[in-house]
Amino acid sequence: MTASFLLRRIGYGLLLMLGVVVLNFLLIRLAPGDPAVVIAGEMGGATEEMLESIREEYGLNKPLVVQLGIYVGNVLTGNLGESFFFNQPVATLIAQRILPTILLVVTAQVLSILIGVFLGVLAARKPNGVMSAFVSVFATIGYAVPVFWTGIMLIILFASVLPIFPVEGMQSVKLRDANLFVQMLDILHHLALPAFTLAIIYLAQYARLSRASMLEVLGSDYIRTAKAKGASQRTILFKHALRNAALPILTVAGLQFGNLISGALLVETVFNWPGMGRLAFDSILRRDYPTIMGVLFFASAMVVIANILTDMSYRLADPRLRGKG
Amino acid sequence: MTHLLQIEDLRVTFNTRYGEVTALDGISMHVSEGETLGVVGESGCGKSITALSVMGLIPSPPGRMAGGSIRLNGEDLTQASEARMRELRGAEMAMIFQEPMTSLNPVFTVGDQIAEAIMLHQNVSRDQAFRDAIALLDRVGIPSPDVRARDYPHQLSGGMRQRVMIAMAVSCRPKVLIADEPTTALDVTVQAQIFDLLYEIQRDFGSAIILITHDMGAISEMADRVAVMYAGRVIEEARADDVLDHPQHPYARGLISCIPALGKGDLPDTLAEIPGVVPPLHLLGAGCAFADRCSHRLARCDSEQPRLIAHGHHPAACHAVEEGRI
Amino acid sequence: MSDETRTTYKAESPALEAWRMFRRNIPALVGVVLLTVIILATLYGTFFYTGDPFEIVWAPHEPPGVTPEFPLGTDYLGRDIIAGMLTGGGPTLAVGAVAAAITMGIGIAMGALAGYYGGWVDNLLMRVTEFFQVLPALLFAMVLVTLLSPSLFTIAFAIGVVSWPQTARLTRAEFLKIKNLEYVTAARAIGARDKRIIWTVILPNALPPLIVSATLTVGVAILFEAGLSFLGLGDPNVMSWGLMIGANREYILDAWWPVTFPGLAIFFTVFAVSLIGDGLNDAFNPKLRER
Repeated sequence: MTASFLLRRIGYGLLLMLGVVVLNFLLIRLAPGDPAVVIAGEMGGATEEMLESIREEYGLNKPLVVQLGIYVGNVLTGNLGESFFFNQPVATLIAQRILPTILLVVTAQVLSILIGVFLGVLAARKPNGVMSAFVSVFATIGYAVPVFWTGIMLIILFASVLPIFPVEGMQSVKLRDANLFVQMLDILHHLALPAFTLAIIYLAQYARLSRASMLEVLGSDYIRTAKAKGASQRTILFKHALRNAALPILTVAGLQFGNLISGALLVETVFNWPGMGRLAFDSILRRDYPTIMGVLFFASAMVVIANILTDMSYRLADPRLRGKG
Repeated sequence: MTHLLQIEDLRVTFNTRYGEVTALDGISMHVSEGETLGVVGESGCGKSITALSVMGLIPSPPGRMAGGSIRLNGEDLTQASEARMRELRGAEMAMIFQEPMTSLNPVFTVGDQIAEAIMLHQNVSRDQAFRDAIALLDRVGIPSPDVRARDYPHQLSGGMRQRVMIAMAVSCRPKVLIADEPTTALDVTVQAQIFDLLYEIQRDFGSAIILITHDMGAISEMADRVAVMYAGRVIEEARADDVLDHPQHPYARGLISCIPALGKGDLPDTLAEIPGVVPPLHLLGAGCAFADRCSHRLARCDSEQPRLIAHGHHPAACHAVEEGRI
Repeated sequence: MSDETRTTYKAESPALEAWRMFRRNIPALVGVVLLTVIILATLYGTFFYTGDPFEIVWAPHEPPGVTPEFPLGTDYLGRDIIAGMLTGGGPTLAVGAVAAAITMGIGIAMGALAGYYGGWVDNLLMRVTEFFQVLPALLFAMVLVTLLSPSLFTIAFAIGVVSWPQTARLTRAEFLKIKNLEYVTAARAIGARDKRIIWTVILPNALPPLIVSATLTVGVAILFEAGLSFLGLGDPNVMSWGLMIGANREYILDAWWPVTFPGLAIFFTVFAVSLIGDGLNDAFNPKLRER
């Protein structure tokens, strides 16, 4: 992989993020009413002094371009504004909540790809077999179930029928003072249901996609070559075919990341997972715009980073792209 | 007399949406050590199915071996287990495919792909296998093989890739080497080089080669014997010179007369001298499959299947030849 | 050659052939029936079952099947669940359809222009598309709805604005494939203008995948609407399935039915839509079916 490719990719990512900042700025101006009131939050009951200080800080009585400059400058220096509802800087609020979200989203992504691809490969071995039928039915169902409802159904199931997983929050109160290892286990224990809820939709899609992708690859000439060498079925499936079938899966995984974050928003709300989704929900109900915009900014940044990582791994996986600009 | 590879009365059928069709209808052919058997015919006549049957690579379903035998050193491959076939494939018998562009796995280096073939059948270390792969690349005439071994297929030209395929196929010194139209996808100048290479390989390794082609020029240069196929049957079989100089079956005559001056070059898709195309397999009737296109057609050709028997010069499956009308 | 071979090669209008394939596709027909039943129930259900879904009519948390008047029970306030089910589907379906129309409209326009003109137009429009794909869709939709204040139209608009990039990419890919085919060159040779070529020559030929995509977009839009309503960002004056789940979610451990039935309704609607979409896909791509 060339360093120049990586640099260009990162530069483009930064440009996209600048776009998000400008969009945020425009959205606040587009909102009906006095931007100062919008920023203070409609539920805040802001005093005239507060509004005045907001006008000062954001330069709201200056020309639009200058306001944009001030806004971008603020974001560049890490100042995402103040949440008047939470009475804290937005950056602090998000810093407290970004790790749980990353933990949830990454776990769900890894779970759904691993299980989904495995199911898809099994199904591809027999295109008309039971597993294939299961994968396509499962994929159609997985596509149609609202993720928040899956979460609720799992809560009902695991709270009353099979109480082996906690259904709320990220940590048990009584384990707050336990040693680090116990705490980590506790977090994983809490993570199980939300991560699985989020994973299940994408898992179904990856299973269907990898089945189709594997079937296409299994029909190709180089698989016949591998058979003619005397390679075993397992080698053919997991070495020769999967490496090639993984390429479209990787592309979709990158594109899905934004949707995964959207899903995490709902799942966090259902399971009271203390992440950015929960924060977005709380701040939207209070029309706490600085916080909303901060969440939008960081969620987009996560997508941009995920896309860069996807592009890089795609280049590693496909030698035909290596060394190209 | 027993041959290295002997195909006897082989029948292969496919389940299609027109019902079960017979792709190979009782074909017999054989090849001995160091010998080259040319198999010729238009596309769709069953040449490649024959090759895949020998390798045990008929996609099943829909394909099925419905009868007959394929004996390699006396062992019937149609009865062999899948595990036994895996041992034989790549070791005792190997195949070179038509499309060098798509027959190599794009995500592995060519050296690794050759080394894999070696490791599957010989108890050697990875490093040793890779060194052997480099030696093989050198043997098939690839310049700076130690560098090329680390290249991916897309970095090589078509002719180079076919050399890699040949290196892979001969990596375990197979007794039988099947080359299925090995040069169709390549430039004319490269074609000659590939045939030279196959010839050298045969001389060095003593392999039997089954050369599937519709290039009659290649047949005249490479083949010791020729089997002409049409619609899933062998319709003429003899020494290459005999078939080329004295073709019996009207179809074989048509094929030979298609060879441009100097006897070199590819057959066009449709043969000007033989109007029409190979009939779809599901529409084959009781009689000779070639009857519709034949200028020597007799009444019995529509109802009675001609058998491959020697009349005069050498065996041909034709009523008109049998009755001495041609 | 016999007559029999000729019949196999007989040309048939692609739309007719697709319809014949679709008609034989049992899951797709199940989808059509299911969706028809759901639409009829939401359109005419209130004829037979009058009742204000917001009105408190009974004791809270009446389980389903106990009181004949309230076959699906009541929610945490004592509101009739079946009334909510029947009136809550209409808005969801309407928003889904309008949002899908907006999505397709923006997506096709962007994709067609990018694919047809190429060059800097393509470059610019694709950068815009990529930008929209960076914004997590549901979050962006939440922001838009909040800014514009929730109503059925603003919700449909917001869903459309966040969902079009995929349609744009698909349309662009189709246009790139088609624009160099001979009949397009022929149209250009007889002097047809760009506008005419885009809309009457290329677009009709790009329709099959776009129709499939439109169907699936309706499903996604319904899920979006449900998600927004669940979060309390729907129109507060309109009952919807998502709202029913959202309103009752604090009490799920006391009563399973107020959240289960609306969830099933959403599921079956989207399920029906996606069966139809898969059926259309199979019908338009008979080759894929044989896999």
